[in-house]
Amino acid sequence: MPLTLLNSDKAIPEREKHTYIKAPSESILPLSNVQTTPGDFTERGCTYAGCLGVVCGPIKDVIHLVHGPIGCAYWTWGGGTRQNLSDNPSFHRKYCFSTDMQEDNIIFGGEDKLYESILEAHEEFPEAKGVFVYATCAIGLIGDDLKGVCKRAEDEIGIRVVPFNCEGFRGCSQSLGHHIANDTLFERVVGTKEPEYLTDYDMNIIGDYNIQGDLWEIMPLFERMGIRILSTFTGNASIDDIAQAHRAKLNLMHCQRSTPYICEKMEEKYGIPVLKASLFGVEQTSKALRDVAAFFGLEDKAEEIIEEEVSKVSPKIAAYRTKFEGKRVFIYQGAPRAWHWVNMFRELGVETIAAATTFGHEDDYAKICERVNDGVLVIDNPNSLELEEILTDWKPDLFISGLKEKYLSYKLGVPFINGHSYEKGPYAVYSGFLNFARDVEKTLFAPVWGLIRRENDA
Amino acid sequence: MRSVTINPAKMCQPIGAMYALFGVHAAVPLVHGSQGCTAYPMRMFNRHFGELVQVAVSSLGEDASVFGGKKNLVVSIENIIARRHPELIGVITTCLSETIGDDIDGIIREGNFEESKVVPIHTPSYVGSHVTGYDNALKALVTTLSVDSEPENARLNILPGMVNPGDVIEIKQMLDSMNIAYTILSDISETLNAPLILPKPPFPRGGSSVAELEDCAKARGVIALCEHAGGSAAVYLKGKYGMAADTICPIGVANTDRFLDAVCDMTGVEIPYSLEQGRGRLIDAMVDVHMKTCGKRAAISADPDIALALAEFVTELGMEPVVVSSSTASRKFLQKAKSVTDGEILNGRDLYELQRAVKDNETDILFGNTKCTPIAKDEDIAFVRCGFPVYDRVGYHRYGIMGYHGGIYLTDMITNAILEWGER
Ligand code: SF4
Repeated sequence: MPLTLLNSDKAIPEREKHTYIKAPSESILPLSNVQTTPGDFTERGCTYAGCLGVVCGPIKDVIHLVHGPIGCAYWTWGGGTRQNLSDNPSFHRKYCFSTDMQEDNIIFGGEDKLYESILEAHEEFPEAKGVFVYATCAIGLIGDDLKGVCKRAEDEIGIRVVPFNCEGFRGCSQSLGHHIANDTLFERVVGTKEPEYLTDYDMNIIGDYNIQGDLWEIMPLFERMGIRILSTFTGNASIDDIAQAHRAKLNLMHCQRSTPYICEKMEEKYGIPVLKASLFGVEQTSKALRDVAAFFGLEDKAEEIIEEEVSKVSPKIAAYRTKFEGKRVFIYQGAPRAWHWVNMFRELGVETIAAATTFGHEDDYAKICERVNDGVLVIDNPNSLELEEILTDWKPDLFISGLKEKYLSYKLGVPFINGHSYEKGPYAVYSGFLNFARDVEKTLFAPVWGLIRRENDA
Repeated sequence: MRSVTINPAKMCQPIGAMYALFGVHAAVPLVHGSQGCTAYPMRMFNRHFGELVQVAVSSLGEDASVFGGKKNLVVSIENIIARRHPELIGVITTCLSETIGDDIDGIIREGNFEESKVVPIHTPSYVGSHVTGYDNALKALVTTLSVDSEPENARLNILPGMVNPGDVIEIKQMLDSMNIAYTILSDISETLNAPLILPKPPFPRGGSSVAELEDCAKARGVIALCEHAGGSAAVYLKGKYGMAADTICPIGVANTDRFLDAVCDMTGVEIPYSLEQGRGRLIDAMVDVHMKTCGKRAAISADPDIALALAEFVTELGMEPVVVSSSTASRKFLQKAKSVTDGEILNGRDLYELQRAVKDNETDILFGNTKCTPIAKDEDIAFVRCGFPVYDRVGYHRYGIMGYHGGIYLTDMITNAILEWGER
């Protein structure tokens, strides 16, 4: 039984192509990265969300100026619901900048207002190291010359002013926004600054957004090995860090959906090799450390660190595993975490019974299918009604997804973890894995689930 | 005035329209636009209410932006009807579909959708704010659905505006104690504060029914609690069906008195003993704390009608409303604000400006939503959370600040904020 049509999809049979139950010796992947079925209650966001919300937003020392009506800016203010922390909290995440386009501007164009806004924002916050300008839906239609205005403003204020043509409607999901952000940052920022000095152990971490401080757990592991993190893309990043990223010896790519583009370009232009890694759970983290160590010839050091860290966490993980053994999880994430976490859950004794992504491409689904067992439901861009059906009929013990899906899970009485912005992270590497396991335990065994009544037993 | 907005005090129209539709039973908000315009506002509702919200989107893409979004809209409506059988679908436009210029009224008319009512709601994001969006949505619901038929049904229509479930409950309890028949349009008191009982119903229980929206034409009167969010529907009902209409935001003693007087005038009912007792209890609470509240300088940031009513209430508490700020620019707000404060009035300005005003006016206490929290922290002043969204603390949607009983809760919140600030 390869592709399948869920009951809630009887009226929209095109969803069958996106819905696959893994079967032995088959090489089918669900259809992905295509337009959403209109009106299907998708959970997807827009291109602008992928560009500013995900990739650029974490950059901590530039003014993120949203060119459009007010809503778009309001939603991404302070990272929106994303917890991408930085060490510059008194500026980053605190301010929200918008041109707040009015009807007149839509009719007569918003170029003047944009120009003025850039100058004024710079005047209020002269310490900001750049201005990033994001075009939202309406701008794409009225034809403001974003590039021209930004160039003029840049000449005037003397700091970098970078336009992003990330209008919400451009792509079928957030995914195109990642691509636009990657391309623009590569063209306009990467390679514009030389590091003060170089070492033989300079590495970039690409595609980690420092959700609840993940990077602050990840970086010390590599630093203890003797590696210098030259640049992070883009968690807790200064624009200067990104500007000097081209001098690294290696790019370690964590989120492999939102950043392969910039990795490819850096490989092409600067010859920086790319190493793909997953930094969740013991096994995957250890593998990443070993892979990096092998590249730099730091194997002995890596083994020492791995031994020390693993001995600290593994008794605790073993205890959690005894408690969780036999539990079943439904994982629904943006894209890569869906497969990063299959293995992490397995280490905890929890098997994945369904896996889904919001904006995954074929390679994400290939990786999911490699990792999950036969009979597992793999579904692309699931909508709210499908999620309800899976939570009800497939009966997972745990659902891991984002805020919008959280209250669906709760209303159905299914324990839930927020995998996007975390419950109480960080969740990355060894130390984060313990936080993760603790949160899984909390929700799985919360007494309140046992107090829920069914209408007819009342 | 600055061109750039820094830390906006307002959101855009579509989220206000969604707010209104969540209060209609078995209704689906369908946003005609691209996907950020649903994904983002949904999270705002999730955070404020701690509730599931389901909003559909027509997922306009590059093609639609060139050739128009008609096909996406029609397919969306058909899919929603086939899969969820809602009683009503509210089609909410966005900056995208309005700029494309889709004729949603025409598309809906031609579509002849039978199973569900389909209501076109124009909410271009580049006009007004979330408040305007709520107002437009409620007006569209009433205009499209109300049908005149004899006889008058002796009910009152109450249009609460963008308030919390707790506020609607306060209003209902007052009207119930007067034995008055009424219809709340739209009623989020249960839909956005839903119980967890399995199995989960396909749509949350509660909300105004389509039948109630149709019948609202027959009521003897209408009271909009927020002139800027519901007022247009009230004006329509008055003009079209000749019913009595009033706008009063019942926050504080005098405003609640006025609200109840208007209810009595429209219905001929008298204020019951229990409400007199409730009023007395509020006064008692205010007397108890007046040594703490009198003389405090307050800054208020809220939607226009709430801001004005709060300013009046803090004045009753002996405080001085030194800054009164409306999320939404409005001439009416400006006029009225001048009569409730001698302080600084911010008419649709951003929170960056609010912070400047808070500083300049030596404020002791700030009223506002979660986006105002950093201002209170920076300026080291007492802070009372109110409005939408509040998500850095839980439960605010559950408790009303309207009516006498809500006034007690608000009085206590204010006093406790002052006490906590004193102990910091
Ligand atoms: S208007 Fe467009 S860019 Fe802005 S949130 Fe909506 S879909 Fe995204």
